[in-house]
Amino acid sequence: MNRRNFLTQSAALATVAASPRALATATAAALPKGRAEHCIFLWLGGGMAQIDTFDPKRRGNPKSKPMVAGSDYAAIDTAVPGVRYTEHLARTAQLAEHVTAVRTINHTLGIEHALATNFVHTGRPVSGSTVYPSLGSVVAHQRGAADERVPAYMVIGYPSVSRGPGFLGAKHGYIHLVDTESGPAGFTAPDGIDAARMAERRRLLAPLQKNTGDGTSLDDYAEAQREALRLAGPGFMRHFKLAEEPAALREGYGGEFGQRCLLARRLVQAGVRFIEVSHNLNFINGAGWDTHNAGQLNQHVLIRELDAALGSLIADLKAKKLLDKTLIALGTEFGRPGQFDSGGGRGHQSACFSLLLAGGGLRHRGAYGVTNELSGKPVENPVSVPDFHATIYAALGINPGKELVSASRPVPITDGGKPIAALFG
Amino acid sequence: MIRLLMSLVLLAASAVAAAVSVEICEDGVPKSGWPGTPARATETFQEDAFGLFELPLKYVATGVRGDRAFPTLVRATGKVTLPAGKHRLLLRARGMARLLVDGRVIAETPFDQPRQFAVGNAGELPVEEQETFLELGPGARFLPPGNREVMAEAEFDGRAAEIVLETLIGGIEPKSKRPFRPELGETVAAISLAGSGDWKLLAPGEMTVPYTDAGWAAYTAPRRARFAAMNAAARATRRAEHAGYWNRRRAAARDWLAATPEVPVPALAAGFPAHNPIDHFVAARIAQVTADEKPSARAGGVDFFRDIKPILEANCFACHQGAKVKGGLQLDTRAAALRGGRGDGPAIVPGQPKASPLFQRITSHDPEEVMPAKGDRLRTADVALVERWIAEGAVWPEFAPGRRTLTPLAHDLAFLRRVSLDTVGVVPSEAEVSAFLADSAASRRARAIDRLLADPRWADHQMGYWLDVLAENPNLINPTLNNTGPFRWWLHESLLDGKPLDLLVTELIRLEGSERGGGPAGFGVASQNDVPAAAKGIILAGAFLGVEMKCARCHDAPTHAAKQSELFQLAAMLEKKPLKVPTTSSVPLDHLRVGGRTPMIEVTLAPGSTVEPAWPFGRFAGEASAAALAERPDDPRDRLAALVTAPQNERFAQVLANRLWQRLMGRGLVETVGDWEKSAPTHPELLRWLGREFVRGGYDLRALARLILNSHAYQRAADPALAAPSPLFAAHAPRRINAEQLVDSLFAATGKPFAVEQVCLDLDSVRTIENALDLGQATRAWMLGSTSNERDRPSLMLPRIQAVADVMEVFGWRGARPDASSGIRENAANVLQPALLSNGTMMTWLTRLSDDHGLGLLAMEEQPVERLVERIFLRLFTRPPTPEEKSTYVAALKPGYAGRVVARAEPVPAPAERRKYVAWSNHMKSEANTLRLEQEAAARRGDPPTTRLAPEWRTRFEDVIWALLNAPEWTSVL
Repeated sequence: MNRRNFLTQSAALATVAASPRALATATAAALPKGRAEHCIFLWLGGGMAQIDTFDPKRRGNPKSKPMVAGSDYAAIDTAVPGVRYTEHLARTAQLAEHVTAVRTINHTLGIEHALATNFVHTGRPVSGSTVYPSLGSVVAHQRGAADERVPAYMVIGYPSVSRGPGFLGAKHGYIHLVDTESGPAGFTAPDGIDAARMAERRRLLAPLQKNTGDGTSLDDYAEAQREALRLAGPGFMRHFKLAEEPAALREGYGGEFGQRCLLARRLVQAGVRFIEVSHNLNFINGAGWDTHNAGQLNQHVLIRELDAALGSLIADLKAKKLLDKTLIALGTEFGRPGQFDSGGGRGHQSACFSLLLAGGGLRHRGAYGVTNELSGKPVENPVSVPDFHATIYAALGINPGKELVSASRPVPITDGGKPIAALFG
Repeated sequence: MIRLLMSLVLLAASAVAAAVSVEICEDGVPKSGWPGTPARATETFQEDAFGLFELPLKYVATGVRGDRAFPTLVRATGKVTLPAGKHRLLLRARGMARLLVDGRVIAETPFDQPRQFAVGNAGELPVEEQETFLELGPGARFLPPGNREVMAEAEFDGRAAEIVLETLIGGIEPKSKRPFRPELGETVAAISLAGSGDWKLLAPGEMTVPYTDAGWAAYTAPRRARFAAMNAAARATRRAEHAGYWNRRRAAARDWLAATPEVPVPALAAGFPAHNPIDHFVAARIAQVTADEKPSARAGGVDFFRDIKPILEANCFACHQGAKVKGGLQLDTRAAALRGGRGDGPAIVPGQPKASPLFQRITSHDPEEVMPAKGDRLRTADVALVERWIAEGAVWPEFAPGRRTLTPLAHDLAFLRRVSLDTVGVVPSEAEVSAFLADSAASRRARAIDRLLADPRWADHQMGYWLDVLAENPNLINPTLNNTGPFRWWLHESLLDGKPLDLLVTELIRLEGSERGGGPAGFGVASQNDVPAAAKGIILAGAFLGVEMKCARCHDAPTHAAKQSELFQLAAMLEKKPLKVPTTSSVPLDHLRVGGRTPMIEVTLAPGSTVEPAWPFGRFAGEASAAALAERPDDPRDRLAALVTAPQNERFAQVLANRLWQRLMGRGLVETVGDWEKSAPTHPELLRWLGREFVRGGYDLRALARLILNSHAYQRAADPALAAPSPLFAAHAPRRINAEQLVDSLFAATGKPFAVEQVCLDLDSVRTIENALDLGQATRAWMLGSTSNERDRPSLMLPRIQAVADVMEVFGWRGARPDASSGIRENAANVLQPALLSNGTMMTWLTRLSDDHGLGLLAMEEQPVERLVERIFLRLFTRPPTPEEKSTYVAALKPGYAGRVVARAEPVPAPAERRKYVAWSNHMKSEANTLRLEQEAAARRGDPPTTRLAPEWRTRFEDVIWALLNAPEWTSVL
């Protein structure tokens, strides 16, 4: 058999043997492709309780004896008929036509924070042979920055492996800042170093930057150093001056998390491709989104903070005509069960939880997927984490089946993820 | 009860006079509560006072860290004579403890604190509780986290009293029944005499130890050194117990050397310098390449290495390089390309592009034919280059020889800087420079090499490399991300002891000792991994045999010889039993049958099948001969250790020699150090010779290093124009400094103390040993660990460690090491490197002249400003400044120089306050978050500037330091 015949025959065989999943990969060219240019990824570390936020169910009560399983808050109507969120999401509810709460996310990675956080960032289980890149790094790698004068990928939150570039290499990593006050690590002059002193420092550095030779490793570094000094200059740093924003707008966004979202919008305008914004301010209710035990008591304050920030971000992007080209995605490592724990809070649940998409030129519908009576498992249209990632990639015009190369090994961007077709077109 | 007390008194009486006898009891200690009869001592040592903080470590097998029993009882006994009267006594300890005076229990601390464990484990211990502690009076040392304390009064009659202090360490948590880390914390009996407000440690002899922060620091420092010496002696004892077997191994290695032909050292080629045989090999190769070289096809013609190889690398090598290739076609050498593959025959017909299948394939428009099979078509410009290259005859040299004229020897000081970075991982101090220059010019290099190789910092410098290659990956809390135990401590001790590498690797493969306490057993762990032994097999094969097996984890490798069954055979040897292949460690067949082409990969090992232990690398060493060397041939794991490390397995010695060569010379003799299928040795004879020298030297890494470091090849000057070292080793190329070298050198050269938090999130020990590690107080960069804060909680941040880790990560260090590294880090420059060096928190510390900053102290010395500038250059760059540099920085520092030192009264230290701490136990509390954010702000602020230098001059000096530390020169080893 010559090679051509062999190929033709095995192609025929493949058509018979292929599973629907394999076929989906094979027809990658026909996949939906969105036109979003940027992504703001809001990370709610700890595990947002879907039943208390975007997937309300019958009312429960953690304070009665015995406790009654169910949502801790009342449900309200949203702008999308038939779709309801809980009462603390009033602002987002009014904007629900720009939002899709994907209610049927599920994974089997278990309920340990770090492991699940890694999975929802990378879409793959931890492996001993490959370190997979995060969503942000893949987007940075595929699309680069929209403006070459700014970095492609920034994180407002703490550094972690899960947020990192994995096998794509440090070049596709993030620049991070831990709060909106202090500016990005490495690009903000330390306190007490004013412009005059910085200029003096650069003057003193100049003689040492000479004689690095062309094309050598020293020269590469000197080049990177010039770039870093430029980024540390006023051009890039002015994007961090939130004080330039109208006071009313700033107030509308709310506390530190809201300010981070506002900063993310400014970074989108500056050309940053992917911004992860972490909502990790667990002093609001003690536990943050990890609402075990007494963490439940003030969870509503946290949800309202999310609502103010998310609602403001959608409205602000819309007003600035940026909403269609900016995809907002909301991530959390898992959800929480409808039942309460002995302390009146909630445990962890990965079998069913909600993630959210907004803007980005998608055909939104308020909510997608149906879960059972206490949001314990998906009933219609289950969506895997790779599917959710594929939706994000597709919205950004990236083929989720495209192969990246890890040490000569081809690695598809998602592990067989399929975009949610209903959101495109 | 009476009998118990009697026996305790007897025990006390047996103690040596004027000393505290410390007994460690591992036998017969109940899981909770005190033993009914006194536990028997299994080990004893002497101490001067009732102050315990560390025990001699326990070593098992050939001297690897082991675990003590959980729990272990520690009993300190001594006779103390105190003035008559009623005195206050203080008992502090981490574990349950009690203090007896003349057989009477006068103070006791509880162990069983279910609330602490339960609430603390949930992170919910109120921070306010830390405000409640015993008031001991001004100056007394505050209770460290995780210790408990109790005060009592006791009447003494002026005669010697028998004191017994007992504590249980590594106790069992009552609910989970799992042990805590076996820590003494600060186990102390202290006394405050009647009428006195001061506290001191109870001590039998003349020694007085004030129980203050300073007193405690002065007490512990020499003892830590003493414990280190005791531990080294204990390791030596254990190792000596196995001398019989290891002497036989040495003899077997000698026999093997005698029975196999030596590699002849070539005569020195004319016109080449030589320090030792290495230079003969290197010179011979240069001479040979020069002689073989055909005149260039045509001036201005296509250059294979410049123009063609990058195209092949980017588009073809994924499938057509190495031992196993698609379609049988190998495109990594000219001979292989001319031989061709199964389908098309020879891939290249030199001179005839149109007749060359390679060219036909890249230009084909038939989707079934076109190459590359996947991904984008070749760019038109590349196609044109390939066409021209074939038309010009497809000239394809074995390797790009690069520069072939030798650089002269590096200047003495450049050599010293390079060799210091390559051996002890830091730049030389002023004193080291002086010692070097004090030796005669003829001997100073060899003597410096000897000094540096004997320096314990050699072990520190090795650590970062081996932690990468062996993928040590401890997590401070909840190990779930393919985590291992902290086997760093075993590794560091092995390197300190100069352990032969065959023994070291044998210990690693035997997986003995403590899993969570730093023994090689920790290497065997891979949390949340479906087949940990397979993960370890991949690491061992790459690290010690140069065999890449990552792909074989789930399927036969498409471009490597390794089959999945071979990896599982290896894994089964490690597991000592047949191993079943789980579905999760395979690729579903339907994934393979996508599209029309032959699948890239094959699965020949069905999920669910069982694989027997077997040695898959018969090509390196026959099973029979090497297995005969095993100490326990029936034990598959021990047999594996012998097969890997036997002299018959030449691969092992050569892979290690090549790894060391690569680190010192910038390029391996086999370039792909962890994957020998992907490149051939440039100097096969030298490689074999080095391997045999390594065996002859008893697998002593330092002996091999001595050989390389003394060669002319190593000592040659770098050619700053080279982007990569010449494959002929005619000259060094500047090498990117690695993260550990950079950080350690910056602290060493500036003299700023390396002060970071304890590498631990469970300071007060509320978590059991599985769920929290304490990696201790880091003194070198390699000792840090991942601060990965997947929970995104401010309270779980370690801000000072993070500030250093931020710098290290952008220079290629990985805090988390979930997969094995080849040993060669990514070294491209990136914008974050200079960003963090110019504005990062760590640089704030290094450029702020605080009271403890070494350059501040240097600036206060009486000397001309020119001399100051010279000495700073010597400390930071190991060279004098150029005239231009000197004038720039002298001009900057001259104004105000005479009046720079400000006379000041020594500041009176403010009374200490009890500092609250944040740990896992309270991290869910708002107060803990607030506290941590304050610590973060303090870290970012750095230490206050010294008041001993005039502020105006000091800030100018700081600006100079900033500029010097940001010189690109810092980032390269020249």
